[in-house]
Parts: sequence; C-alpha cells; structure tokens
Amino acid sequence: MICVVAAPSALAQTDAQFAKANQEYAQGDFKESISSYESLIRGGPWNANLFYDLGNAYFRTGDFGRAILNYERALALEPHHPEATANLQIARDEAHALELQPSWPERYLRFATINQYSFTAAVAFWVGVSCLVLLIFARRRSAMAAVLLLAMFSILAVAIFSIWQLDRGVKGRALAIVTADNVQARIATADTANSVLALPPGSQVKILSTRGDWIYAALPSNLRGWIPAKSAEQVRL
Amino acid sequence: MRYPHCGETVSAVAQTSKSAVSQVSKPACRAEADQVPIWKSAIRQVWKPALRTIAVFITIAAAQFARADSPSITAVLNNSETVLGQPVQLEIQITGAPDAEATEEILADGLEIHRTGSSQRIEMRNLKLTSSVIYDYTILPLRAGRFTIPPQTIRAGGKLLQTPQLTLNVADLPGRSSGGQPSRGAQSQPASASELVFAELIVPKKVAYVGEIVPVQIRMGFDARVHPRLVEPPEITGQGFTAQKLQQSGENLETINGRPYDVVTFKSAIAAARAGKFEIGPAKAKAQVVVPRTRSAPRSRARSPFDLFDLDDPFSDPFFSNPFSQLAERREVEVKSEPVALEVKPLPPNAPPSFSGAIGNFTMATDAKPKSVQVGDPITVTTTISGRGNFDRVNAPETENERGWHKYPPSSKFKQDDEVGISGTKTFETVLAPNERKQSLPTLAFSYFDPVKEQYVTLRSEPIAITVQGGPATANVATSQPGSSPPATAAKPNSPAPVTTKPQDILYQLTERPRAVESFEPVYTQRVFWAAQLIPLLALIGFAGWKIRRAKIDNREAWRMAALQHEAAELMHKLRRNDASPREYYAEASRAVRVKTALASGGREIDPNMVDAETAADAFKLNGDSRDRLRRLFEQSDEWQYSGAHNGPGRISRENRREVLELIENLRA
Repeated sequence: MICVVAAPSALAQTDAQFAKANQEYAQGDFKESISSYESLIRGGPWNANLFYDLGNAYFRTGDFGRAILNYERALALEPHHPEATANLQIARDEAHALELQPSWPERYLRFATINQYSFTAAVAFWVGVSCLVLLIFARRRSAMAAVLLLAMFSILAVAIFSIWQLDRGVKGRALAIVTADNVQARIATADTANSVLALPPGSQVKILSTRGDWIYAALPSNLRGWIPAKSAEQVRL
Repeated sequence: MRYPHCGETVSAVAQTSKSAVSQVSKPACRAEADQVPIWKSAIRQVWKPALRTIAVFITIAAAQFARADSPSITAVLNNSETVLGQPVQLEIQITGAPDAEATEEILADGLEIHRTGSSQRIEMRNLKLTSSVIYDYTILPLRAGRFTIPPQTIRAGGKLLQTPQLTLNVADLPGRSSGGQPSRGAQSQPASASELVFAELIVPKKVAYVGEIVPVQIRMGFDARVHPRLVEPPEITGQGFTAQKLQQSGENLETINGRPYDVVTFKSAIAAARAGKFEIGPAKAKAQVVVPRTRSAPRSRARSPFDLFDLDDPFSDPFFSNPFSQLAERREVEVKSEPVALEVKPLPPNAPPSFSGAIGNFTMATDAKPKSVQVGDPITVTTTISGRGNFDRVNAPETENERGWHKYPPSSKFKQDDEVGISGTKTFETVLAPNERKQSLPTLAFSYFDPVKEQYVTLRSEPIAITVQGGPATANVATSQPGSSPPATAAKPNSPAPVTTKPQDILYQLTERPRAVESFEPVYTQRVFWAAQLIPLLALIGFAGWKIRRAKIDNREAWRMAALQHEAAELMHKLRRNDASPREYYAEASRAVRVKTALASGGREIDPNMVDAETAADAFKLNGDSRDRLRRLFEQSDEWQYSGAHNGPGRISRENRREVLELIENLRA
C-alpha cells in the first residue's frame, strides 16, 4: 500500500527535478544543470536521455572528456540513440579524441546488441530443447524436428559467441573514457616513466587491470600502457 | 695418424664411420692391395688438392712479389683536429718494402709523438699481392694551436721515401679535467709521475640548457705493466643530471712521458634536469692491477718516483724484469677523475606550441602517400627529423589546423648515427583521413630549441597538394593552406594557424524522460531474465511428465493383454487334451471364453472374472444358435462347479468335447 502511494510521488519528484535541470540548461546555467543531472543520475532510475542531456551540458562547459563519457553511457543504454550518436561525433572531433579499433568479429557482430543476442540465445535454446524432447518422445521421429534442433543449437552457439565477443570488445564492460587533460599513457606506473601515447580527453581505453592508483589499459593504435586511475571513468556504471 | 704404405702389412683399419672413408679403387701396390683392402681417409682425400692449391697460390704469390711495384709511403692522421689532451693517431704505411724501418719518435714543436706499434698487412687484389708495413704513432698535443708534423724520411727497398707534411689543429678545452694524468697540456692537472693509473672526464661544454644533451668522454689510463682489469665499470657521479649508459669506444696504447699507458675511452651523454651550477663527476671506476708482493724485509733500494702503494716503487722491483723470480699479487685500486663544472641555464620562456622539449639542431622532411584519395580514406604522412640533440624528447610534429581531418596517433622509429644516440634520424608516420574535400595536407610544425642560436626554431612542412574526392566540399579550404593564411597569423610563425571555420554545434536537449528504466548490465546478468526461463522450463517438464505417464499406462495395458493371451493359449491347450474331468473341462472352457472376451474387449479393460454368457455373446456378436450353445456351456460349467454331484457320465463324450472346442475356437471379434 505504502509502495503504491510512494512510487508515483517519487516519480513526480524526479520529473520535476529533470524539468528544472532542463530549464537551467536552457537558461545557460550549464554548471547548475550538470549538478542537477548528476543528482538525478545518483538517485536513479537511469535512461539514455538523461545521460545525453548531461553530456550536452558538459559539452557546453568545454569538458569534452565528460561530454563524450556521457554520450557513450547514453549509447550503452540505448545503442541506437540518434542524437547521442551525432553529438558524440561532434565532441570527438572537437577533442581530437582517439578511438579503439574493434576487432573484425566485433565489427560484424555490432548490428545487434548484447541484450538482443541474449534473447535470441534464450529462444533458440528453448526451441532446440523442445525439438529434442519431441524427438525423444515421438513414436515416429521427424527429420524436420532434427533439422530444426540443429539450426537452433547453431543459432545458440553464434549468439553466445557474439555476447562473449561484444562483452569483452571495445564497447564492452571494460570500456573507459579519458576525462582528464594532458593524460599520458606510460610504460610503467610512475609519472617519470616513458610515455607510450598522449591521450586527449574523450579518448577510449579498455581497462585490462588495476594496480593501486594506476590502470593498465589497451590504448588506441593497438598500444598498451598505464594511466592514472583518476584520469579515466568506466562507461558502464 | 699413420697410413699404410706399399710393403707394409695392414693389420687394422681405423674406420670410424663408413662415410668418413672410402676404398681406394687403384692401390699403388696391387699385390698387397688384393689381399687387404686399403682405406684412405676423407681428410687425406681433401688435403691433396688443398695442398696443390696452396702450392699454386704460393707460386703465384712469389711471382707477384718478384714483380712487385716500387715501394711507396703514406702518412695519415685519424683526425686533423683535436682538443688539448685528446691524442691523435698517426699511421705511416710503407708498401712494397717489408724491411723498411721507421723512427721511434718524431720531433714536432708543441706535439709529443711516439711510436706505439707496428703491424704488417698482406693484401691480394686481382691476384696481385701487396705487402705493407704500418707504423702507428700517438700524437699528444702539448698546447693549443696549429702544428705541423714535418716530413719523415724512411729508407725502404734501397730508396729514400718521404712522408707528406701534415697539419694538426689543436683547440683549447677549458672544461677538460684531468685526474692526475702525467705530463699533459695546460688544462691538465700538474703531472704526477708517481701514479700508475689516471682518469679524466672530458665535458666539451661549460654552459648548457636544461634538457640539452651534452656528450661526455671518460679516458682511463693504466700503466701498461700492471695488467689492469676493470672490476667496476666507470660511472659519472653527481646530481642534477641524467647520464646515459657508458659505451666503450676505443682502447689504445699511448706513451706519456716516455711511459706506455693502456688508455680506454668511454663515451656517454648527460642531460641536466634543472637549472643551476653543477659539478659533473667525478668519474669513478675500480680496477685490479698486478703489483709485486710487498716484502717484510727492509728495503735496500732507494725510493722510486713510481711508488704508489707502500712508498716503494713497485716497478723498480725485480718482479718486472723477471715475473717468476717472486710472487705477484693483484690489488684493487680506485680510478677517479676530477669533477667538471657545468652551468645549466633554463630554457627561455614563450616556447612555441609545437615545442615538446627537443634541444639541438634538426632538419625536417615530409612526404605523404597516397596523394589522391576518397573522403575518409587514410593518408600516411611520413615526417623525418634528422640532426643532433635529445631525440628522446623529439615528438611527432603538430598538425596545424586539423579541422576536416581525422588524425590517428603517430608511430615512430629512431635510427642513431653514433654510439650514444645524440645524432640520428627519427621517422614518424601519422595517418590522416580527410572528412571532407581538401586540396592540401595540413601543415606540420616541429619546434626545437637551438642552444647555439639560443632561440626556438619552428620547422614547418611544405604544403603537399592532394586530391580528395567525394563528400562535401570544404567551406574554407584556404584556411588549411599555410600559404594563404592571413597576414596577422603570418606575423606569428610559432603559433598554429587560426581556426576560421565555425565549430559544429551539438543537437538539442531532450526534455522527454522515458518511463522505461534502463540498466548498463546486460540482460543475461539480470535475475528477471533467468526467472523468465522458468516458464518454458516448467512447460517442458510438464509435457515430458505427461508423455512419460502415458507411456507407462500403455505399457501396463500391454502387459495385461499379453498375460491374457498367454492364459487363453494355455487353456486351449488343456481343452485339447483328453485327460481332464468334466468339472475341470467345463471350468477351463468357461474360463477360456471369459479370457477371450476380455481380450476381444480391447481398451475397455473388461475383467475376465466378470464376463458372463451374455457379455461374451455380445462381445463376439454371436447368432442365436451359438449364443444358446455358449449359454449351455456356462450353465454346465456352473452346474459342475456348484452342484456337488455328477449329473451325467463321469467323462465327457467326444462329440461334446468337439462341440465345445469348436464353439470356443470360433469366438473371434
């Protein structure tokens, strides 16, 4: 009963806060709007538009690194968000951000999302298992059922491979965006170590491991190096 | 190894392996060879032609020597310019006169020239042998200036040969430090003849800039008689600078004050980390030298100027004239140079934007491939930066006005031209992809600080014309061409070209907030996804359970039918026999009818015990006569079963038996 009453009230409150943040943005109070959007994100629930709007606010303040981070988050929630895709490209051009190059399987498998592959795998699995059960109990075994069984388990295998490939790929859970300025990827965990690559804000890196305040990351151009942990944020919260 | 000869008896053959030896096809001594096989070593087979070849070679060589050209002489300095304290090598080569003898010492004003060695060289060119004698001299400049080495006259092959006059320029070196090197130039420490070892650190500059690479040289000399062995390699101590790894660049024998020294030269480079006045060095090393074992007996000799270790000159010891006369020992000595002062100045302010810390003197060349592309296609721009300086701080040139280009991170490779990597060539490959139509590549700028001119220098690439097809035409192509930059920017050569194209604006804000809650976690990690899988799982389990139950039921019915069939068969078998009493016979006959009726009922599962004459007649759809006969059979069976007395004959007649059997066998559904 309490839940039923409280839920619409909380929803109305976040709607009001969202409207306020939008108004601050429209008035040019970008820092205020960033604060409001961040507060909404902390409280949840999340959706792509919220991260997109926050990205726009960061873009207006010239913080291209965080703008790109939030556009990436919007696209992680909704991969076919057209506005986030467009603004991400603009922000990348402005920041000269570097991008990770996807592997060739990942490039081809990107036409669907991990969730779509997950549903496909589930459906293929149950259809395949149903075919198997039918084949076991039927008095007359149907060739059609056998073919369908084979097809379903093939689809299942492809879907599982796609999930694995996308999850560990450049758009996977390890993707992080450089948010600080003048970040140098280095060959060792020391500020004095030789530089591997200069990373403009908004550049993509893939976190491989973490050691103290340093992150070992896969960098654009197939390089690897250490970057300070505070200089990059992971896309997936 | 001895080989058998004719006349000798071969008792054994040293055959190591079959392939190593071969049988002689035509032995020199046929009679004995027929009895015992003679084996000939493969080496021997090879030797014979080899010896023949050598003999031919010697004959040709002798002939060549016999008609050798008249003797000639050359004199070459390995360097015509040097600094004070830096020795130079003089090589006098006399060709065609192996017996020529050169002087031990050459007299020249301001120079100390001693012969340090000689060698002989035999060369063969186009089957012509040439013999040369080479005399090596070490020239030690005693002061700065321009010196002349006078022509030397040498008698060779009955002729008088004269070397050319040579000139040597000796520069003063204020920054040079000498660690007690005996008898050196004006910058050296006063000569101390009592030292067996010396080290000197040569820093050619007194003033440098922060980050500037300064080459340094360490010369370590050991008296040639002490058989030195370096225990610890030399290192340059001091703070405020970084030093590269020392590389040994040479070792030669020098005569200093008439005493031979093994001089080892190491090269390195230092770079100051901060501004200020520093002391570079001293350069230190540890070496082991051989000295005679000290004796406890009182000395009878007078003290020698070469006394270093225990106030007694070890080289006046008889050990050096006869090392086996008494035992020697190795001692570890520290070789140390004097430190050298270096003033380090900070770099001037207002460095150009493309300055990455490179200090030195560089040149830049740029090329691009391909020059005709489609929009979005990559163009590889190769930039070569050559020269002398701190190449570790030479970064890829900056791209001026990148608008309309997508730039990828550059790759680099460095090829050093010297031992310490101060001079060389660094090549960068940068991939640029045009986002729109362009007519030329963006200008690449590389800045460095020239310590000689004491100013920043910016090198810019020449405009490289390209053809980009497809995509939208650029709104302001001229801005990407350095030649068409407005005058205001041309006045600031160190700043990048201004961006005149209006930056793209981002899209509008989205004010609609969807009600759907989204998550970064993939759906397969969420509980609801796995909970949903229970629906098809339960459906499948239900279906499978139903199918299994159906199968079990079908199986039980089949068993029952089989049992009934078996019973019917047995009953029929008994009925055909002649030995049963009427009571048993009619009981079995009525049972057979009941069982057959149950079998005929199929899926209705009729219990055989519940079947009566009417049920059976209905099941088999019997006519009136058969129905009466079946009814009579059941009555007789009941009568024999329940009456307790025999109402008739003790045995069943043949006709009755046949009639009953016929009735039962004709019962078919």
